Amino acid sequence: MHGIREDHRSDTIGREGKVTMDLTAIGKRVSKKDAPPKVTGSAAYIQDVKIPGMLYGKILYSRYPHARIKGLDTTKASRLPGVKAVLTGADVPPFRFGVYKDNPPLKSGKVCSLRDEVAAVAATDPEIAEEALDLIEVEYEELPAVFDPQEAMKEGAPLIHEGHVGGKEKKPTNVLNLPWRLIAGDVEHARKEAAFVVEGTFTTQWVTHCCLGTSGCIAQFDEASNLTVHSNTQIPYLAQRDFIDALGSFGLPNRRVRIIQSQIGGAFGSKLDTYAYEYIAILLALKTRRPVKIVFTREEEFLATSPRQCTVTRISHGCTREGKLLFRDMEMILDNGAYTSWGATTPSVMMMPISSLYKVPNVKYIAKCVYTNNTYSQAMRGYGNPQATFAIESSLDELAEAAGIEPYEFRMINANEPGETTPQNFKITSCGMKECMKEVKGRLGWNGKRRQKDGRGFGMASLVHVGGGARVYKSDGCGTIIKVDDYGKVDVFTGSTDIGQGSETILSQIVSEVLGIPVDDINVINNDTDVCPWDVGVHASRTTFVAGNSCLGAARKIREQILETAAEALSEDPSGLDIAAGVIFAKHNKEKNIALGKVLRNAHYASGGKMLMAEYFYDPPNENFDREFKGNLSVAYAYGTHGVEVEVDRETGSVKIINYVAAHDVGRALNPMLLEGQISGGGVMGLGYALSENMIYKNGKLMNANYVDYKMPTVKDVPPMQAVIVETDEKNGPFGAKGIGEPGLVPTAPAIANAIYDAVGVRIRDLPITPEKVLAALKAK
Amino acid sequence: MVRYDYFKPFTLGEALELMERHRDAVYIAGGTDLMVLMRQKKLSPKALISLRNIEELSRKDGLVIGSCVTHREIQEDETIRKGFQALHDAVCRLGSTQIRNVATLGGNICNASPSADTACPLLVFDAEAVIAGPGGERRLALVDFFLGPGETVLQRGEILKEFRMPGHGANTGSAYIKQTRRNGVDLPIIGVAVRVTVDRKDLRCKDMLCSAAPASEILAHFGEEELRCEDIRIAIGAAAPRPIRARKAEEALKGQLISDETVAAAARVAASECAPRDDIRGEAWYRREMAEVLVRRAVMKSLDGVLRPDEMVYPDRLW
Amino acid sequence: MKREISFVLNGEPVSVDVEAQWTLLHLLREVLELKGTKDGCGEGECGTCTVVIDGKAVNSCLFPVMEAEGRSVTTIEGLRAPDGGLHPLQKAFIEHGAVQCGYCSPGMIMSAYALLQEKAEPSDDEIKDGIEGNLCRCTGYVKIIEAIRSVAKGR
Repeated sequence: MHGIREDHRSDTIGREGKVTMDLTAIGKRVSKKDAPPKVTGSAAYIQDVKIPGMLYGKILYSRYPHARIKGLDTTKASRLPGVKAVLTGADVPPFRFGVYKDNPPLKSGKVCSLRDEVAAVAATDPEIAEEALDLIEVEYEELPAVFDPQEAMKEGAPLIHEGHVGGKEKKPTNVLNLPWRLIAGDVEHARKEAAFVVEGTFTTQWVTHCCLGTSGCIAQFDEASNLTVHSNTQIPYLAQRDFIDALGSFGLPNRRVRIIQSQIGGAFGSKLDTYAYEYIAILLALKTRRPVKIVFTREEEFLATSPRQCTVTRISHGCTREGKLLFRDMEMILDNGAYTSWGATTPSVMMMPISSLYKVPNVKYIAKCVYTNNTYSQAMRGYGNPQATFAIESSLDELAEAAGIEPYEFRMINANEPGETTPQNFKITSCGMKECMKEVKGRLGWNGKRRQKDGRGFGMASLVHVGGGARVYKSDGCGTIIKVDDYGKVDVFTGSTDIGQGSETILSQIVSEVLGIPVDDINVINNDTDVCPWDVGVHASRTTFVAGNSCLGAARKIREQILETAAEALSEDPSGLDIAAGVIFAKHNKEKNIALGKVLRNAHYASGGKMLMAEYFYDPPNENFDREFKGNLSVAYAYGTHGVEVEVDRETGSVKIINYVAAHDVGRALNPMLLEGQISGGGVMGLGYALSENMIYKNGKLMNANYVDYKMPTVKDVPPMQAVIVETDEKNGPFGAKGIGEPGLVPTAPAIANAIYDAVGVRIRDLPITPEKVLAALKAK
Repeated sequence: MVRYDYFKPFTLGEALELMERHRDAVYIAGGTDLMVLMRQKKLSPKALISLRNIEELSRKDGLVIGSCVTHREIQEDETIRKGFQALHDAVCRLGSTQIRNVATLGGNICNASPSADTACPLLVFDAEAVIAGPGGERRLALVDFFLGPGETVLQRGEILKEFRMPGHGANTGSAYIKQTRRNGVDLPIIGVAVRVTVDRKDLRCKDMLCSAAPASEILAHFGEEELRCEDIRIAIGAAAPRPIRARKAEEALKGQLISDETVAAAARVAASECAPRDDIRGEAWYRREMAEVLVRRAVMKSLDGVLRPDEMVYPDRLW
Repeated sequence: MKREISFVLNGEPVSVDVEAQWTLLHLLREVLELKGTKDGCGEGECGTCTVVIDGKAVNSCLFPVMEAEGRSVTTIEGLRAPDGGLHPLQKAFIEHGAVQCGYCSPGMIMSAYALLQEKAEPSDDEIKDGIEGNLCRCTGYVKIIEAIRSVAKGR
């Protein structure tokens, strides 16, 4: 079988003919440092943390998707033995959180979705807290609700937030005042010039992160009302800021907030914003003066965390007779749900593939986000890119067919190249798109056969994503502090978070390489805002690049300090020294050496002693978007291509993946084993998105809030997969590396959709691609 | 607060007696359905009477399977694998290893989900349910055991004791296929069990290639030989409020020569006997389509079991 | 009303007072403070609560604690060798990169442990059957299969 290695390891291409340095840690398959406690069960996730005196909080959710709260009686609940506090919206000073500051932690007045928090209880036991919820009496007056964004846009639709006005006339509306409009070149003119034009409408579904470890936190105040939150957030410093603001509104200005992260049981973007439950835990802790823990059940995790939003996209694509792309015109309507979180900003990331996936000189994109009485969405791996790329890459295949050009050839004609500046002013440095496509084609045995009797077909799709940080906030920075101890062991304090992807290990490898000390001698501390320097958060696949560069900077400074100090001890010039295996030695005579620990002890057990510590804050030289959403968002861009061979069962519509190749341009593989893990993990998540995952909502209610009926992939759903690592040596990345966290699932769905079309001639434009849809399409032919 | 008492009787008599004394009790076997229902607050008994430790319910003996035999035990039983392939097929794809290790055949049947994987195979083997109660034992055909989703004929206090399956003759093969939303652990969108007996006493296996080929091609290998369907049973799950026997389809094929046309025709009749609904797992039209496809494939797979009983049966997807 | 049950836990006999309505998972995590076994869904669908009872992998979130009486229960904490060394499965998971966020790892390893006790050299299909009931969102399962396979084949 093409492309699949026996040992399932990746192949790395791109280093042929390049001078390889003698590296000791970079490029090696180093095991994750956090793996041992995880395999023995000693790693402590938020579910496992217990603080003396801790109470358990539970939340009462709304019974209707849209209603006024006419009355709320908590007396019975308060009287239940074991209940220490009951809170409702009336007990909370006015405070709203979220990207648009439209979300109160406990709702009063009215509820706008079934996941609205109406009341909360803290009790000595989670069961007592549950029971107390049942005793809270709420009287609702139902209001007409709207669940379709296109309906919600119409005149006379029920208003979700009555005070919300928009448009030029500042009339009450459900359409958010967001400026999602990207225009480059002249699309209308290009449309007239194009030899071939295709149009289509593509829809994608609500899907959710399904982290195996559910959300939760423990809030605790000290005697001076400073707050500590044990959390599994991805944004410790932004959460810290949000909580400081909240405390201000709760009558506690100027307080300290400390975030301590437990082991995180999966994130994928779900913890990129703060949630109501966190503020509720804080309020309950404030009221009871005891630590309060709230941990979601699996059902709550489905109902009350914020998923990837569904989209409706109209796209048209045009090209010249020779197949060169001329324009791309896209319009999207996004269901914003009842409150605003990061889901409302995904269009800013969708612009990236719209403007910069393949060379397309004329681009137009307009997106509208609309309030509805549905759940509200936020960040999920890919952050809008999967939705946009599904439309773009499916449509591209349609355009290739209209032009009579083979899909692979069509893509090669329009492939991005290093040194380009795209219509969104992205400056492409390294770019391995062509190599990725070639690898996929070769390894799949892509043979141009179309619609043969056997129901098999090939499809491919590419991706572009930020790979060198992303200036989505004003800062894209990350700080590192390194200190060396008396025994030659190194502590690395980083603001970045390890959400399971292995950043702790990657940073250790970088420090190990620079300092010449074993990876095991390096300790990474990354989970305490009191101790670690600032970082904007784990998102945008930025950790390897930004935290890596930050670490690199600090490590280099420390290395200088070490060599200077050792130089004194060895009576050598620092430039004549090197470090290996924790020992500093003279390059011309290895016998002349001193152990790192000794260097440290010498440094401070002396009069005029000093300690060895260095810090470095790296903020990548990328740009915020200007008012037109143009600007070099990232320092480097990640590319990749996924290709699949499918077999479609014409009688049942079932799609089987025979072979799957995922090629990713990662700049440099700092740790091929961890990279493979990201690629296969992302790919399988992509498979779920493409084929089986779907949050089924009826009138705002989630009908499948459980693992029985939300079908994420099991081990039996994984096809033969081959990861190909393409190295293009990104000069701005640490040792040449770029990001990989999100790209893994961006092109999967269109690759599969394209392969199905190749196999049986039906094009499914609506995710997930279920057997029903395929069969219905086959019958309609 | 959820509080209940938990009793562990060692004989059937003890269990029945405990149920007499505790009016607010329910029986529990493997618990994989019951524990979930209780957690979801759909059931709040004051006591559980465990059937797990009652030896006579855990017996497996030829054609008698105790109600508390686990699906795992059934999966590992050679007699069942060879002679009752459909039941083997069903348990192999029921839940996960963890579930199969504790969930019992009786529990699955008493839960009476229209989509219960083991119901259809038991139906095609003409299984009888033996019920023990305060007044003694009674038996009835399993097809009459189900009243509707979650409802059975069991009266308060009664225990489903065991399943009895009459033997079947030689030249009999069976299969169970289900259509699911993903390959891993899944409830069926629709499930079909078939048992077919062919009228050939001296059947010789011909060397056949992988049978992605249509029935006619496979059957053509037999040259002059004809295969006649002597007897057939077809059961369909998740296509009606109860698992059903497709009796009209059975009539259509019984006594007929087996060919592409006759099998396809019977499958169409079977599909028309279904009364599927739309639900979050699947749409009614699709279930009806799949009933036809799966009946056809299950017949062929059953035949395969007859023709080459000791060889590898083809993976589900080819059928 | 509390009752006393006795069983073998990780090779050692224990006697403990329990409430009849507890699940085995509750006993392990909340009473015996063995936090290695996880709670992921409470419905027997995710496998993070997997323990091994009398050699068989079981979802402890659905296992009534009263049924533990007289049985032998092994949790992830029981896999280490008496000298503290890691079990070959634990080592393999580390070495093959089969652990990312790690929430599924204890349950996954226990399912693999039960599988290898029953079948020393399972095929890839048998490995998949063994861990079908263990969900993982991070790894895509590929390295988990590699890790288990490496132990099965003694590599």
